[in-house]
Order: sequence, then C-alpha cells, then structure tokens
Amino acid sequence: MVDAADVELRNATYATFVELGRAPSSAETAERVRGEPAAVRAGWRRLHEAHALVLDDSGELRMANPFSAVPTRHRVRAAGRSWWANCAWDAFGICAALHVDGRVESSCPDCGEALAVEVRDGRPDDESLVFHCLVPAARWWDDIVFT
Amino acid sequence: MNLFRSEGHVERWLAGREAGAIVTVATLAELAQAWWGDRLEPTWRPHTREQNQAILAGVGLTGEFWRLP
Repeated sequence: MVDAADVELRNATYATFVELGRAPSSAETAERVRGEPAAVRAGWRRLHEAHALVLDDSGELRMANPFSAVPTRHRVRAAGRSWWANCAWDAFGICAALHVDGRVESSCPDCGEALAVEVRDGRPDDESLVFHCLVPAARWWDDIVFT
Repeated sequence: MNLFRSEGHVERWLAGREAGAIVTVATLAELAQAWWGDRLEPTWRPHTREQNQAILAGVGLTGEFWRLP
C-alpha cells in the first residue's frame, strides 16, 4: 500500500531522474531524500507493486514511466538532453511531462526504417505514421516490459 | 507499443497474428499530453483507474480493447 511518504519518495525520484538526465540509483535517491538506501528500496518496492514505477530484478529503477532507465528503440531529444522512452506512447509522454518541444526518434519494427517526429506544442509534425498497441489495456501490467 | 511507417507495415509485421489497436500519431500525441502531462508536477498523485479510463475516452479510445482492469 502506497502512502503519502511513498508518493513523496516517488516525486523526489522523478525530480532526480530529470536533474541527472538518467535513472538515479537507490543510493543517489537516498542522498537526495536524506534517507537510508534500504528505506528507498523498500519504498520503491511498494511503488513498483502499485505500478507507480518499475524496478529491475536487482531492485533498481527500470522505468520511471514515461522514462526508461535502459536504452530502447525509442529515443527523445528534449530539454537539451537525450532520453530513452519505454515505448512510442512514452516517447511522446516525455515531451508532455517535461512540457517542452522535442524530437521523437524510433524505427519501424517491420522495415527497420528510422522514424523521426518533431513535437511542437504537443503536436507531431508528421501525421503519416501510425501507432500500434498489441496488448489490450486489461493486460498491460501482466508484463509491462513486453507491453 | 511501437510507431510504424503505415498501417500496411503493421499488417506485414503481424504476419497473421491478431492485431491490437492502430491509432494515428496525432491521437497518440494527444493521449500522451493527457496521460503524462502531470507526471513531474510536485503535487502529483496517482491517477485512479477512472481518471485513466476517462483520459482514454477523451481521445476517442473506447471499447473492450481500451478497458482498464
């Protein structure tokens, strides 16, 4: 069960992610919140169970949705940095979360062609592309990495 | 959840598998604004299922495929 302190931890985690331009470790996050790494990992675990972020097998960050802690097919250039997104939806979500324009770079899974979309005021400059969601919403969190 | 060059590329990639849902990139961008726009707000609180379902419906994503658990 996530409580107010966990939400504060989650918000501090996200703020640190954006400041660093990458996923913070549990130790870095503990420093930020002036807490113990073990307490951060326990809080992250509750947030993971509540789908507020996603941990890897070692208990470190895998996703702070829409941001990915690891390289993916979906890269976003925004706010003077390059970010990895978990999926195409999240790629647009990075511009939305940062409230900035940006450039979404991906590739077509069918033909491998590089795809790039400029996002200005939340709108894409190339509306010829399509988004495909394979997994129904009811099953997104059955395996969020696959989704 | 991927971007494709066109619907034809989705169909070819599926190679006979059951399709999910195809959405225009304009709708995807609109959805992303509504779904993720508050994610870095200092006052962020978890969305309820109902809030998220309303966001999906707000950009026209309705029906069984888009029904959250």
